[in-house]
Order: sequence, then structure tokens, then C-alpha cells
Amino acid sequence: MKPLLRRLRHDLFATPADGLITLVLLGMIGAGGWAFLHWAFRQARWAVIQANSTLFAVGRYPIEQQWRLWLLTTLLAAATGLIWGLLRSHPRPDRGGQLWPRNDRLAVAVLLALSLVVPGALGFAPALVGRWLAIGLLLVLMRWLAGRFGPALPPALKRWLPVGLPILYLLGMVLIGGGFGLVAVSSSEWGGLVLTLLEATFAILLCFPLGVLLALGRRSDLPLLRWGSVLYIEFIRGAPLITLLFLGQNMIGFLLPGGLAPERVWRAAWVLTLFAAAYLAEAVRSGLSAVPRGQLEAARSLGMSTIQAFITVVMPQALRVALPSMVGQFISLLQDTTLLSLIGLMELLGTARTVMANPAFLGRNAEVYFTLAVLFWCCCAALGLGSRALERRLDPASLARSG
Amino acid sequence: MTQPSTSTLSSAAAGPAELMIEARGVEKWYPNGFHALRGCDLEVRKGEVVVIMGPSGSGKSTFIRTFNALEDFQQGSITVDGITLSNDLRRIDAIRREVGMVFQQFNLFPHLTVLDNLTLAPVLVRRRPKAEVERQARALLERVGISEQADKYPGQLSGGQQQRVAIARSLCMEPRIMLFDEPTSALDPEMVREVLQVMRGLAADGMTMVVVTHEVGFAREVAHRVVLMAGGEVVEEASPDTFFTSPSQPRTRQFLNQIL
Repeated sequence: MKPLLRRLRHDLFATPADGLITLVLLGMIGAGGWAFLHWAFRQARWAVIQANSTLFAVGRYPIEQQWRLWLLTTLLAAATGLIWGLLRSHPRPDRGGQLWPRNDRLAVAVLLALSLVVPGALGFAPALVGRWLAIGLLLVLMRWLAGRFGPALPPALKRWLPVGLPILYLLGMVLIGGGFGLVAVSSSEWGGLVLTLLEATFAILLCFPLGVLLALGRRSDLPLLRWGSVLYIEFIRGAPLITLLFLGQNMIGFLLPGGLAPERVWRAAWVLTLFAAAYLAEAVRSGLSAVPRGQLEAARSLGMSTIQAFITVVMPQALRVALPSMVGQFISLLQDTTLLSLIGLMELLGTARTVMANPAFLGRNAEVYFTLAVLFWCCCAALGLGSRALERRLDPASLARSG
Repeated sequence: MTQPSTSTLSSAAAGPAELMIEARGVEKWYPNGFHALRGCDLEVRKGEVVVIMGPSGSGKSTFIRTFNALEDFQQGSITVDGITLSNDLRRIDAIRREVGMVFQQFNLFPHLTVLDNLTLAPVLVRRRPKAEVERQARALLERVGISEQADKYPGQLSGGQQQRVAIARSLCMEPRIMLFDEPTSALDPEMVREVLQVMRGLAADGMTMVVVTHEVGFAREVAHRVVLMAGGEVVEEASPDTFFTSPSQPRTRQFLNQIL
């Protein structure tokens, strides 16, 4: 107890001024926290969230087809557990990797607690609570299995596992939209968190290669390619996303003959992609300029072609430098999907607006917006955590420190 | 009839050794108009070690960087290992496969382990099987004295160790010529020796080498010929003995006075 007291004194009350600042801040935090708790438990009426939880999650997706989304969630949970476990079971050669570091144990505890507490607190039916718990348990089980038996898997199999990810993504598209024997669910019926995540992941996955190509184009020796890239990047970065979204909704209809124009959901997804690519290109460009010239010279002097040198030597280093700002772009892209509500798509914010327009839930805006903020925060926190883990994994300097 | 006598004159062995590098009247201007190379000539035969010295800014680095087309030039001609340098990219790649280069700043690939630094190009460019290249790479690391560092990253090694890895990386491509661009200039004094030791070993094994360096001891001991460059010109070319004791050009005497 004594050291703790001494540390508190040293950290918070070292000088009279420090002490004053500490007291004032404690007072402000306390008052703010008290006001929030008072609102959350006394004034707020969470019935609006309980009654509309399905709407927030999947929008107006037909009830009899919702098993497809449950299946997709289950598959994603299993894949997450598998990747997580395999990453831990395959430590870098010079780092004595632990199979269950403290952060992982903490994450598992939080995950299980969340999947047990949150559905219950939202007043879901016991069957639903059970499903969420089962999905959470499946994730942990896959994590355990992959960690336990991952090292024993044949290396050839592990090399081909990443191919499963695009297949899983396409499978998810089929599950959501139908086809291959499944009843088609029109994209106008997609909504809620599912639509938000679909738009965001589509744009994130496609803007990445596009952004890299633009960044390379901007550094190209071919004037036409260079000026084309510069023009594109500067035009997109100079226009607000919302105007581009409206432009996309109106112009694509003019440019393409009636039947060929993609549906609104996909038009919006493409505009998001093209928008994000311009910003990503700038992030990649800053990464490229951080790679010393000597790296390309060394690779070329070993007889590699320019393309080989870029793929194996320059790009890996550039992307590592650009990773934090790229993830920053992805996070703001995820948040930018809320703008889709303004062009009439029923993603999270659009769904929320219809809920708030319902006379039964009049005046319950704060509860709805708060829930939205928490949902977005969860998604962005996951992205941020993932990127920091990736950064640590890709950084030889951190290997040097721990090795 | 005169053939036997010429061969005994030019070399103790069987005939003049094959010409590996032949530069004739090389002229280079930088885009800003600076005249970097002014009619430089150089001949390097197989198994020869040529050291290029000269004050900074004299064009030494630029000159040897033209040999593997890291720098272009506007006039003159360069033939390396029988291939004449031109703008043909395939020919440039062919030359670079046969010409290894060691840089002042090492330029190791920081995101790859030492072993992967060595194996990357042979597997990618020469399309050799990975296992075989890996065996050769480990043998080369043994030869430059850092076999136990194979799984580390370049950032974890000292400067001298990094430069030895860089030499091994070039050797792993099995080049016929090695170019060294001030290989010890970025090193702490106590690490210079270990790198020069590796280069001595290479020379003793008969590697054709062109070395830009300020290391007088190395030049005296290892070089077959020493070249002085100043102001973008080749000023003097002589055997090490002549070069360091009785140079013919005043510029050389002036340079030697400054560094000795």
C-alpha cells in the first residue's frame, strides 16, 4: 500500500500546482461521470434500443432469410479465432513468442463477458442470448485450437490459408445478396450495421490496390500517367465526399444505359472507394518517399527488374511507414459511411433516423445516437487494435528491442 | 610467328587475361549542367584489382556507378563482360546480374533477415531453388565471419557486420565483377579492418574488383593498379609502387600530400 500511496503522491500531488490541477480534474471527471450515470440509469429509456435492435443490426432484411446473416457472423467469428490463434502459434524466428500473452487472456475474458452481458442487458430473448454466447465461445475455441494445433499443420496448407479470406468475403456477399440457389435479397432491403460494414469493407479492400497504383502513377516517369494521377488525386481531395456521393447517384445514371447502372448501394460503394483511394494514395506516397533511394539501387544492382524491386523491397517498407495513416484513412472511411444516409441508404444512421421518426419513440434521440456512437467506437477500436498489432509485427526494430 | 613472344610479354600465364570492363571517353553531364565525367578511360582485366582514389567530388563514385548503369552517360562507350552498355533494359539487367556492387551506406534490406537479404535476388532473378541458395548463403556468411547472425535483422548488426552481409549478398549472385563504392567510409575505425579483411580474401581468390576507397594500406597491398581521378578526369594510372612513391603527375603528388 505504501508504494502505491507514494506513487500517487509523486504522480499527482508533486507540487501545490499539480495538486490543484489534479483536484480540479478529478472534480470535473467526477461531475461528468455522475451526470452520465444519472442520465443512463435514471432518465434514459432504453426501450427504443431493445425494440429496434434487429433493425439496427440488419435493417429490413427479410426475417425468414436472417439465418444467412447468423451463418455469416458465425463464419467470421470462426475465421477471426483461427487467424488470431495461428498468428500467436507462429512467432517470428527471433522472438520467443508466447501462446497466451496477458493481453490475449484479457481479450478473451472481455469477449466472453460482452457476449454474455450485452445481449442479456438489451433484453434479448434467451434463444438470442444463447446464440451470441455460442458465437463468442466458438471464437475462443477456434483461437485455442489454432494455437494448440497450428504448429502441427503442414506448411503448404498454411501458405494457402490466406486465399480463404477473399473466398470468405465473396461467400459473405452471396449469403447477404443471394444467388447460387439462395433466394435473392435485393440491395434495397439491406440495412443497419450490415450495410455499414459491407460498404466500409468493400471500399477499404478496393481502395487499397487503387491507392497504391495512384501513388506509383504519381511518381511515374511517364508524364501522362503522372499528370493523370495528380489531377485525379487533387480533384477528389478538393471535393467534399457528400457532393461526390450526390454526383455519383445522378451522373452514373446518365453515363450508363438504364439497365447497366449499378444499384444505389453499389454506386455509393464505388464512390466511397474512389474517394478513399485518392487519400490512400497520398499516405502511400509519403511511405514511398520515406524509403531511401539506396534501397532501389541495391535491388537493381542485384539484377532485379524495377517491378521485382518494388514488390519485394520498396513496397513492404513504404507500406509499413504508411500503415498508421492508412488505418487512419480506413477509420474515417468507416465513419464517412454515415453520409450515405443523406442519399437515402438505410445504413446505421439512416436506420436510426427512421427509428427516431417513429412517434412511439419520440424524444429518444440521445439514446439512439449514444448507441450509434458506441457501435462505431467498437468498430474503429477493433481497426486500431488490429493495426497496432500489425505494426508491431512488421517492425524489425521492435523485434530488436525484444530479442 | 610473333604470337608466342607477345603472350610471354603480356602475362606470365597463357595470354592476356580477358577484358572485363572497358570504358572509352566517358562523358557525363548532370541534368543541372555539371560536367561530372570528362572523357574517362579505364580497362580492367579478369582477376585484376583496380583502386580508384581522388578528392571528394572528383567523379570516382559516378564513374564506377556507370559500370552497372546506376548512372547514365552521354558520350563514350562502356563494355562490361562483353556486353556494351546501351539503353536496352534487358542488357542492363543482364550486366547487373554479373556485376555486384557494395555501397557506402550498405543498403541492406531492413525488413528482411540477413539470410533473406542474401537469398532474395538469386531466387527471384536467377530462379534457383530456395534450399540450394540458402545453403550457399550460409556458406558465404561463414566465409565473411557472421554465420551466427543469419536469422537477425540488419538493424541488429554493427556497421562492420552489415557491410560484410552486403558483400555476401552481392557474392550470392555469383558475380564476375565486384564494384566497391567507398565500402569503409561510413564505418567506425575499429570496423574498417574486418571489412578490408573480407575484401583481401576476395582479391586473393581472384575476383575482378574495382574499389573506390581512401584506404592507402589496402591500395598498396592489394591493388594491381591505382587510378587517381580529379575534376572528373582520370589523372594518373600506375602500379601501387609507382603511384605512392614516384607519381608522374603533380595533381597526384598534391593529393598524396593531403592524405598521407
